[in-house]
Amino acid sequence: MWQVFRANLKGIFRDRVFLGILVAATIFPLIPSVSSLSMRQVTELSITLSFSLLTFILLLLAIFLGGTSLWKDIERRYTFSIAGLPLTRGQYLLGKFAAIAVFLLLVSLVLGLLLLMTVYVTSILHPPIRPVVWGNLVLAVLFHCLKYILLVSFTFLFSTVSTSFFLPIFGTIAVFFVGTASQQVFDFLQSPSGQKLPVLLQQIATGLYYIVPNFTAFDLNVNAIYALDVPLNGIGLTLLYFIVYLVIILSCASFLFARRELN
Amino acid sequence: MNVIEIENLSKTFRGKRRALVQALQSMSLTIDQGETFGFLGPNGAGKSTTIKIIMGLIRPTTGIARLMGMDASHSAARAKVGFLPENPAFYDFLTAEEYLRFVARIFGLSGKALNQQLERVLSLLDLQEARRRPIRGYSKGMVQRLGLAQALIHDPEVLILDEPMSGLDPVGRALVKQVLLELRSQGKTIFFSTHITSDVEVICDRVGVIVKGKMQAIERVEDVLLRQTSGYDIHVCHPRTGLHKTVFSEAKTLPEIIVSSRDEGFEVIKLEPRRQNLESFFLDIVKSNHE
Ligand SMILES: Nc1ncnc2c1ncn2[C@@H]1O[C@H](COP(=O)(O)OP(=O)(O)OP(=O)(O)O)[C@@H](O)[C@H]1O
Ligand SMILES: [Mg+2]
Repeated sequence: MWQVFRANLKGIFRDRVFLGILVAATIFPLIPSVSSLSMRQVTELSITLSFSLLTFILLLLAIFLGGTSLWKDIERRYTFSIAGLPLTRGQYLLGKFAAIAVFLLLVSLVLGLLLLMTVYVTSILHPPIRPVVWGNLVLAVLFHCLKYILLVSFTFLFSTVSTSFFLPIFGTIAVFFVGTASQQVFDFLQSPSGQKLPVLLQQIATGLYYIVPNFTAFDLNVNAIYALDVPLNGIGLTLLYFIVYLVIILSCASFLFARRELN
Repeated sequence: MNVIEIENLSKTFRGKRRALVQALQSMSLTIDQGETFGFLGPNGAGKSTTIKIIMGLIRPTTGIARLMGMDASHSAARAKVGFLPENPAFYDFLTAEEYLRFVARIFGLSGKALNQQLERVLSLLDLQEARRRPIRGYSKGMVQRLGLAQALIHDPEVLILDEPMSGLDPVGRALVKQVLLELRSQGKTIFFSTHITSDVEVICDRVGVIVKGKMQAIERVEDVLLRQTSGYDIHVCHPRTGLHKTVFSEAKTLPEIIVSSRDEGFEVIKLEPRRQNLESFFLDIVKSNHE
């Protein structure tokens, strides 16, 4: 598994497309000046913009790296040469997954540093009313990264049953949107006006809420922007949620991949 | 121990629009340790399908496939096996050297032993010059040779090769033939599929012929060749007139014909067995299946 991980990580670093996506990070230095166009809450705005850029890059990377990883191996018939080695399919899959997860962590580290620098520059130029809590920013970046790693596991799950990249890519995009909106929809359903909806629709929405991961929990942007305290037991729960969810999805993916016919 | 055991194997593919393709039909085969087995069959006969099942890439519809005494789906069964897939493709962003190291480490090699094996297979398959170039830029024949190199890097007991000669130039073919003969003399078990009957003749102990998913014949190569010797071509020359002549004789009448040519004043310059080689044996089986 370790070897598959290493080889695939090399592959990601040697792939121009993904390095190209990282070029988007050159926008970071523009953020302080763009934010200063707004006369109030300049630092708050720069934090918001920085997080938007960071999550956008991570989302692109997660979906395209994850969605094409296994698919490319199958499409280019690398699977024959690798599945013929004394590896279990599970080791093969987890090795590939780990490569992307570590890559996303490294990218988050680099982008996170850029984000901190950007916010620092802005906060010097336009001191905010509430001082920036740097720990919150770091935590927020970390949880965004975890969110996208979880999303990658879905691209793998879909890849194990799909013959094209269509399901892995678009299925995962769907999961992302549903997972991001699910908390709001769920809250809405609990409200009086939500209760008036047809029962079937309510049940479907509630079902999706429990099946699709709840990405809202990973979003600490508000805490980072307004320097609010991060509830420790809350993020502890989210971390646990992440681990349990990831283990379940990867186990399913490994199980399905082991049964997959590699033709 | 039986290296490969196949019992009553069938494989049905579900193609487009639910059409069923019966790629293998109740096939059975046993390969002993130390044996060299050539697997012959026309295009689409089911050779690659059989090999994929043995390597655990696909599962049989019915029947059992065992490798090294274990069910073919076990990854541990492949620990002492070198495998070359049909038209192989390898992580093309790596160089040959990186890829070989990757494979070697998965087989548990490291340190000095790994480096030794790496040098050995690189020079064995004439990849020394290209070793630091990305596989992306390799020609078909170079990829094929890399395929053999990665199958040999851990000095495996068993080799399973799907068309090892495909895509190679005459020099490469001769080289691979030499390598296979060398492995055979070391007592390795070799199972390979091919279309080239003459390679089977030179390399193999046994041959199996598969047509339309059914094993039609399994024979010792020696037996086939002996049975197929139909007679001899006798080349003679008259020393005084310089007249050249070729006479055909069956095995039984050979001594008489030689004596009678001598009596006519001819000298025998060459004696050639006229073999109906493995090719005709193979073609006969394929033909009889078409009828
Ligand atoms: N994934 C698949 N889906 C449908 N049919 C398949 C599939 N793979 C193989 N087949 C069919 O199974 C049969 C056997 O194919 P196989 O690749 O084993 O032949 P082969 O003997 O290796 O041929 P060749 O000499 O051309 O390599 C063919 O009729 C082929 O069309
Ligand atoms: Mg084939």
